Amino acid sequence: MGRAMKTAAGRASKLNSMRDALAVVRPGDLVALGGLWFHNNPSAAVRELARSRVRDLRLVAAPPSSYAVDLLLGAGCVREATLGHVSFEHMGLAPNFRRAAETGAATIIDADEATILGGIMATLEHLDAHPVPSVRGTDIMDSPIAHLSADGVVAPLAMRPDVCLLHAQEADIYGNVRNLGTPFCDPLFAKASRHVIVTVDRIIDNDDIRSAPHRTTIPGYLVDAVVEAPYGAHPASSHGRYTHDEPAIRAYVKAGASQGEWDRDYLAPFVSEPADLAAYLALVGGAAHIEALAETVR
Amino acid sequence: MSEYSVSEMMTVLIARELRDGDLAVTGASSLVPVAACLLAQQLHAPNLTMISPAGVVNARPKRLYHSASDGRWAVGAEAIGTGYDLFEMSENGRLDVMFYGGVQIDQKGNINLTGTGYGDNGRPRFRGPGLANTSFAIVSGRIILFSASHNRRTFVENVEYLTAAGHLDGAGGRERIGVSTEGPVVCVTPLVTFDFDADKNLQVRSVHPDVSAEHVIANTGFVLDQSRTWPTTLPPTPEELRTLRQVVDPTGELAA
Repeated sequence: MGRAMKTAAGRASKLNSMRDALAVVRPGDLVALGGLWFHNNPSAAVRELARSRVRDLRLVAAPPSSYAVDLLLGAGCVREATLGHVSFEHMGLAPNFRRAAETGAATIIDADEATILGGIMATLEHLDAHPVPSVRGTDIMDSPIAHLSADGVVAPLAMRPDVCLLHAQEADIYGNVRNLGTPFCDPLFAKASRHVIVTVDRIIDNDDIRSAPHRTTIPGYLVDAVVEAPYGAHPASSHGRYTHDEPAIRAYVKAGASQGEWDRDYLAPFVSEPADLAAYLALVGGAAHIEALAETVR
Repeated sequence: MSEYSVSEMMTVLIARELRDGDLAVTGASSLVPVAACLLAQQLHAPNLTMISPAGVVNARPKRLYHSASDGRWAVGAEAIGTGYDLFEMSENGRLDVMFYGGVQIDQKGNINLTGTGYGDNGRPRFRGPGLANTSFAIVSGRIILFSASHNRRTFVENVEYLTAAGHLDGAGGRERIGVSTEGPVVCVTPLVTFDFDADKNLQVRSVHPDVSAEHVIANTGFVLDQSRTWPTTLPPTPEELRTLRQVVDPTGELAA
């Protein structure tokens, strides 16, 4: 048996610092946010975006979304957002999302899975629009996302995010990503987006990836930047690694009672002031606290 | 003092509505329907398939988790689907049962999760959470409605925003837009089990033990047919409760 070929010298690493990776985001960009509810959110990445004070973003998120969307809305980074469901489920409604919708601080485009993924699928299939006949009889038909085809069927226009932010559990430095739980919409968002940034709880060796290639959920050719961000989903969960931080999320929702309270009790201490992810983690209780959540969170 | 909690009772009542062989999909904030699916699998529907909103197929959890897409549901499950798998079902159908709750549920079983109090500027005074999947209301074989609250704010004559389709404007409403699935067939609340009359209006099928008709009427925002006495809901049986507590919910998440 011969020795396996080594990766040729000169293969470029896609490993980036959080700051460098997020510096590509420009005002007006359409940014896709992966994960689902308060699970697998690119939380550290959106806190970095909020710190950079980028404005006028347009967002699209997985049809059920939560923390990442709500934080960017609360930080004033968003002009328009195309969203299905946004909540913290049994822990409460998403306070900044609610406020934005009620005050008009950002334009909320009412969508759902079929209309969001229809637009993504149109891009994947190189179509102008993708019909989704199952969106019928509802008031979502009146939403700007519900573009109608010539024969009157809802057919969302192709959606091509400028930047896609995802959080996964593992990747190598070439951007081969492994989800330890559901990849959910992340692979579809990665395929549809111009520039894909993935934060991961840990970097694994390329040989690790090669030892189980069937477990790669997003291959490296779809990924532009990988950021090592241990516990980078917190306070969201990272499926297969750690559970969502229920007390931290409840405190987030409580702080969101008014914009002033949220600025003072959440944005300043947890987003603006920590210099980096390590400082943030120290503030929220560190690795030991997060690792123990699976024992206490119901 | 009752021998079971409202959530335990609703779980048992929904489980009875599920059939062997059903493919059921659950949504957000759906501990009760999830527990109902797991209970039905244990009792009369071993061939029921349950898919979570995270795409987890046939979870067999050690206990119930409060978030519908908690990563721990995947441990011991049979498969983990993706957003694409749910999109496929959104268009192709394939599922037999979908569960919906609502910020508002109207007399025709239409669902509002988007907002209330819309002004001339098009913005709501109260913005709800919205809905991840409205398509399942069209393509699912049937819909089971549930609500943890039963009051005039939830049960209204007409929804202010139609987020997911019930019977639309009434009998024949779904057929008129080319939809052949049944739509909502039942609605379980803390006070009653509703079903639909020939005009596709919600009517009391049975009133739960120790709940008065006056209380139901006072807390429902549309007119109910009172021409006959409402039967009393058959309470959870000892076997149903034993299976629920010992197998499905050993840590008592529904007991509070």
